[in-house]
Amino acid sequence: MDDPYKALGVAKTASQDEIKKAYRRIAKTDHPDLNSDPAATERFKAASSAYDLLKDPEQRARFDRGEIDAGGREKPNPRFYRDYAARGDNPYRNTQHGDFGEFSDIFSDLFGAGAEARGRSRGGASRGAQAQGFGAGPGFDDLNLRGPDHRFELEIGFMTAAKGGTTRITLPSGDSLEVKIPEGARDGQTIRLRGKGGPGYGQGGPGDALLTLHVADDPDWTREGDDIRRILPITLDQAILGGKVEAQTIGGPVAVSVPKGAQTGQRLRLKGRGIKGGDHYAELRVVMPPTIDDELARFMEEWRKTNSYEPDRRRPT
Amino acid sequence: MTRYTASEIIERIETLTEPRLETYLRLRIVQPVMSERGSYYREIDIARLRLVCDLEEDYALEGDALVMVLSLVDQLHGLRGDMEGLLAALAEQPGEVREAVGRHLRARTGR
Repeated sequence: MDDPYKALGVAKTASQDEIKKAYRRIAKTDHPDLNSDPAATERFKAASSAYDLLKDPEQRARFDRGEIDAGGREKPNPRFYRDYAARGDNPYRNTQHGDFGEFSDIFSDLFGAGAEARGRSRGGASRGAQAQGFGAGPGFDDLNLRGPDHRFELEIGFMTAAKGGTTRITLPSGDSLEVKIPEGARDGQTIRLRGKGGPGYGQGGPGDALLTLHVADDPDWTREGDDIRRILPITLDQAILGGKVEAQTIGGPVAVSVPKGAQTGQRLRLKGRGIKGGDHYAELRVVMPPTIDDELARFMEEWRKTNSYEPDRRRPT
Repeated sequence: MTRYTASEIIERIETLTEPRLETYLRLRIVQPVMSERGSYYREIDIARLRLVCDLEEDYALEGDALVMVLSLVDQLHGLRGDMEGLLAALAEQPGEVREAVGRHLRARTGR
């Protein structure tokens, strides 16, 4: 964008109000979430940048004086909802009210299970639509409908997921409740809280709250299914001579035997010390002493004379 | 992943106010991630709230109408994403498969 006035289609002398109106007009016709024409997106982007610059009279004056260029003060373009929304992991997908024609049904069609899935979906859609008041026709008074399920996303810490536990949450309704996290809870797993969803209609009971779990990353712990991996730092002398070292597992510290001549990256398996009978892998990392004293340096000088080796295995010695 | 508090997103989105955000939460238009350390918003929530604010400002949409339009937008974007996935999968198929699919499509749509 070279000329923000041009991008908005206004004169340099336009009032702040005219600038705002011009931007609103373009936003209305060319918003990328509403108009899929790439040219419209370009117009909208240009107009957004221009409006960002010109909406503040002080900033506009600085631009007019040539103190800042059109792009100089501009923040990186905000990403549009569509940039996230098409992705399969969009949490807002299929979580809203009555949905018709989920693509998962189309996939079901593709794999020959379409009829059954579509039948289910139709039932769900009509329930959703009526629940929102579109179905208010004859007999609506007698209608007993279970309330809609409400979906939520819940992030839990690594340890809570590994060992299980409880976490307290507050629902938008204001309900505060304890949620029991099962041992070994996985990322993406759903927990159903019966009766904590939307209210029912007539004699229908409330829907459920469905919590999708997200297990937060932890810098210290890595999880592979029910196995756990954790870096176990060892000293230079432990690496050379071997010995007993204490390793942290999810169940607490465990003594492990480091073999003589241990390598960085070497994995020691602690059977059954992972999640629900899974294994713990202590991945060794040799840590050099903080200072190299004269004695060690002298010894290494002597040692090197007769023991040189090629540390890069990819290179022939 | 960057996380934002409610006040941070209100700060970031020009047309978003606290009462507006409360309304959107009540309508379940936006749903922050709950965590052991309180709720937080993601980039996608910011992008979604920008769109919601634009829809309310530019089209005077609110309440159920806003929910309905967003539901359609979500379905459309979801289908677009899946369609892209399907087209990518199709592009990997042998030429005769792609031609057969093309014939079927033309026969069904008349184009």
